[in-house]
Amino acid sequence: MSFEIDCPNCGCRPVWEYHYGGTPRQRPDGSATERQWAEYLYNRPNVAGEQTEWWYHRSACKLWFLVRRDTRTNQVLTTKRFAPQEEASGG
Amino acid sequence: MAEDHGSIEFEFDGHRVRAESGQTVAGALHAAGEHIISRSFKYHRPRGLLCMSGRCPNCICTVDGTPNVRICTQAAKPGMVVKSQNAWPSVKFDLLRIFDKLHRFMPVGFYYKRMYKPRWMWPVWEKIIRRIAGLGTINREHGAEGVYDKQNLFTDVAVIGGGLAGLNAALAAADAGVTVTLIDEQPALGGHLRHDPELVEPISDLIRRVSEHPAITVISSAGVFGCYEGNYLGIQQGQRMIRLRAAQVIVATGCWERPLIFENNDLPGVMLASGVQRLLHLDHCQFPGEAVVVTDNAQGYRVAKQLKAAGTRVSAIIDVRDNPSETADGIRTFRGHTIISASGSRHVNGAVIAPLAGHPRQSISCRWIVQAVGFTPANSLLYQNGCKLRYDESLDQAAVIQHAPAMHSAGTVNGLHDPRDAASDGQRAGLAAAEALCSPCLSVSNPSVETALETQSHRGETAPMCHYVSPSDAKKKFVCLCEDVTEKDICDAIDEGYSNIETLKRYSTVSMGPCQGKMCQSASIAICARHNGQSIAETGVTTARPPEQPLPLGVLAGRTLHFSLIRRTPMHAWHEQAGAKMGDAGNWKRPQVYSSVPQEYEAVRQRAGLIDVSTLGKIELRGADVVQFLEFIYPNRFANLKLGRVRYGVICDDAGILLDDGTIARLGDDRFFLTTTTGNADAIDSWFRWWLAARPEWDVRMTNVSASYAAMNLAGPRSREVLKKLTDADLSSDAMPYLAASECTIAGVSVIVLRIGFVGELGYEIHVPSQFGLHVWEAILEAGREFSIAPFGLEAQRVLRLEKKHLLPGIDTDALSNPLEADLPWIVKLDKADFIGKESLARAQQRGDRNKLIGFRLSEPVVPDLASLVLCDGKLGGRITSCGYSPAVGGTIGLAWVPANLAGNGQTIQIQVNGRTIPAVVQDEPFYDPSGAKLKS
Repeated sequence: MSFEIDCPNCGCRPVWEYHYGGTPRQRPDGSATERQWAEYLYNRPNVAGEQTEWWYHRSACKLWFLVRRDTRTNQVLTTKRFAPQEEASGG
Repeated sequence: MAEDHGSIEFEFDGHRVRAESGQTVAGALHAAGEHIISRSFKYHRPRGLLCMSGRCPNCICTVDGTPNVRICTQAAKPGMVVKSQNAWPSVKFDLLRIFDKLHRFMPVGFYYKRMYKPRWMWPVWEKIIRRIAGLGTINREHGAEGVYDKQNLFTDVAVIGGGLAGLNAALAAADAGVTVTLIDEQPALGGHLRHDPELVEPISDLIRRVSEHPAITVISSAGVFGCYEGNYLGIQQGQRMIRLRAAQVIVATGCWERPLIFENNDLPGVMLASGVQRLLHLDHCQFPGEAVVVTDNAQGYRVAKQLKAAGTRVSAIIDVRDNPSETADGIRTFRGHTIISASGSRHVNGAVIAPLAGHPRQSISCRWIVQAVGFTPANSLLYQNGCKLRYDESLDQAAVIQHAPAMHSAGTVNGLHDPRDAASDGQRAGLAAAEALCSPCLSVSNPSVETALETQSHRGETAPMCHYVSPSDAKKKFVCLCEDVTEKDICDAIDEGYSNIETLKRYSTVSMGPCQGKMCQSASIAICARHNGQSIAETGVTTARPPEQPLPLGVLAGRTLHFSLIRRTPMHAWHEQAGAKMGDAGNWKRPQVYSSVPQEYEAVRQRAGLIDVSTLGKIELRGADVVQFLEFIYPNRFANLKLGRVRYGVICDDAGILLDDGTIARLGDDRFFLTTTTGNADAIDSWFRWWLAARPEWDVRMTNVSASYAAMNLAGPRSREVLKKLTDADLSSDAMPYLAASECTIAGVSVIVLRIGFVGELGYEIHVPSQFGLHVWEAILEAGREFSIAPFGLEAQRVLRLEKKHLLPGIDTDALSNPLEADLPWIVKLDKADFIGKESLARAQQRGDRNKLIGFRLSEPVVPDLASLVLCDGKLGGRITSCGYSPAVGGTIGLAWVPANLAGNGQTIQIQVNGRTIPAVVQDEPFYDPSGAKLKS
């Protein structure tokens, strides 16, 4: 892993300044079934291709933001701050 | 030839060898008539110089104690001690050559077939094999001289390879206004033109312009061993590893000449044409006697001419082609012929040649067999970074069909062997790289490889012969010189079912030796294709991975001292001066013990003690929605936390797993001060920010004040009296009861005081602005002197908290621990609205406890190791997570995870200690002050 990520605050920095936070998932509410909770807690999509991910700029500005990345090549396509109206609720 | 005053002497296998200054070790040995340099891996056959470019395994020796040095690229130095490897008793007379006669007992993969029955014999066989096969031995006494170091660099354009294409690419890019770093593995620029001077006009002018260009940095004698994603290059330069980040990369690595596979093709005296040229032109050596050149291209004719000029009698050119365009004046030329075998036992003394059909054969006497039969492109860096390549029959090599982003290739690696093409291809690549930087919105892929290839075909070059293997059924036709793999071995392996190129490689070990396929890749693929009845394109290639060339581990290990972070608290110097034994806690340095654990323990329990807890994570939260946030983050309640009060809390994830614990103090209506454990400070910081990032509508402002505050814990029955001397604040238990949080002034400094007691005594956790940390620390110790206060370290604190049964997250808990089972069921408020982990904890509660964290008293005065087993009916049931001698109990106490049915108060559990089983009694209550009277006093 030696690719670079364009932090919305700090600009392009090597990946080891960041921390990976998984793909955004919809957190089930109280009415969800056990299966839905298990899906949320334990299953990950493992996409071979482009996906949106949380990344955290832990060595610098401490911003959590969203990255569009191709998992096959580690090419970073876009980065942006979280915008609630665009994304299904994160976390 | 050099004059006498320019010569030096070194030692080879015990005798002295003279070298011209500037000559390589191999060149000097060649000039001295030493032609057996090494013995082969498996059969111990004599091997001599072949490639002279640091690629093949033949010249690997131990130099000044360092094993596996390629002496063909190692400059000779006075007094150097060079020793041959893998031979007994000597490289000239190696008794182990007996294996050459036994080859039919050692077919490909023989160790898989013969040496595993009976099973216990394998370790014995392994020892024997390792002794008699293989490479040099590491001399443990001999460390490397100097230091292994690391360097980080960045550049706009990195050009790999200082040949004609690379030089042109570097110049074109630099002239276009970007910075260029040119990495070249040779000591001087020029690539193969250095040793093939007739090929083009002298390029000294080009080299001068590159060297003098202000925007070009040249890194010489440096090999790029890996091209990682993001165009991050790993470069070895001697004992230094350079990590170079490049916006654009141009691969102009050229190609390696490949050997022809014929019988006895590994005899000393059989050389690659480029190896001969290097010896002639760089090492100023000669080739006395007769030579035969086998070729399918113009280079064969050039080398024949150069040999002739150097005094060698070239008795024949064996040209694979029927109608070559080249002619050689005065040299007998056999067209449509190839070489069948080399004869001789320790050195070539003749060659057998025949038409391509294989018959009729004829012998030619000669001392040298020179091979010029084509090239393998040095394209592994392209593969590594994700370029797509496909075998192109018209070039007889793999060619790029799609470049990885921000990556280019130029020159012979693209199949452009004509110097004019290579030069213009370099310029094209240099410009393309510069353009991509100046207007990054343009497409970064470059389609012009095809154009370059078209140039070549327009010139009407004849199609290459694709001649890899000479026609004969002989057994000793070596494909892989590193591992002694023959053509027959490869065919046998395919017949046994290893027909895929990747499995073939792993089973036969072809291309897995020190050359990493540089000599054998092309031929092994060609043989695999032929034997499978496939085309070369269908056969494919094995995956290219870093490192591209063998790398000393020291280069990777290097020193990284200046990158490791050490954190010290504001009181660090005081601790050191007080003689504290310091220990690591993450990046922090923390006092473990000052005097002794019993003394420090006694001070805290009887009088007063002071511990530095500055390493705690500290977070300040402000805003209208902080209460809502805390209610969501923590399983316990915070809406009812009153102003000026502090509460213990644990943090769980949504699976209900306990992540961390700490305290939450309310310092204002919408202002809270939180602490986390030392080890989880960063993780909890990130955890909070993650949940907040997705909830921008919440009015929660978070500041990490971990480094802003020093912190210390004053604990013990006399601590109130100590603190009273330093503050006007009312410290009485009415004004400041247990779990009070207040802001007041101590020793003239505004501080936050939390009345909490991790160690189970009356105690004050005092958070002080960092710059006053030492001042307050010293003031408290001074004020406590009359009470015989003592500083205490982590070790005493461990015992003190264990007596109170306080768990340490990450030590007493792991990734399967929830608070219900970790003896904290009271903290989970399932009647609360949604909080993180609620669903999972509700289900866990429904299910009931499976395991429980319990406290125990051991029946014997021994202290078991951590993680000692708890046995149930003789089987593994649980484990100890903390334990130690408790002065309060007068025996060993601890915490352990046990099955829930053994967790009842007073039950007996069995703990395994040094092979014995010792009973222990489960205890619900804390071991010290169970009512908490001292804590609340």
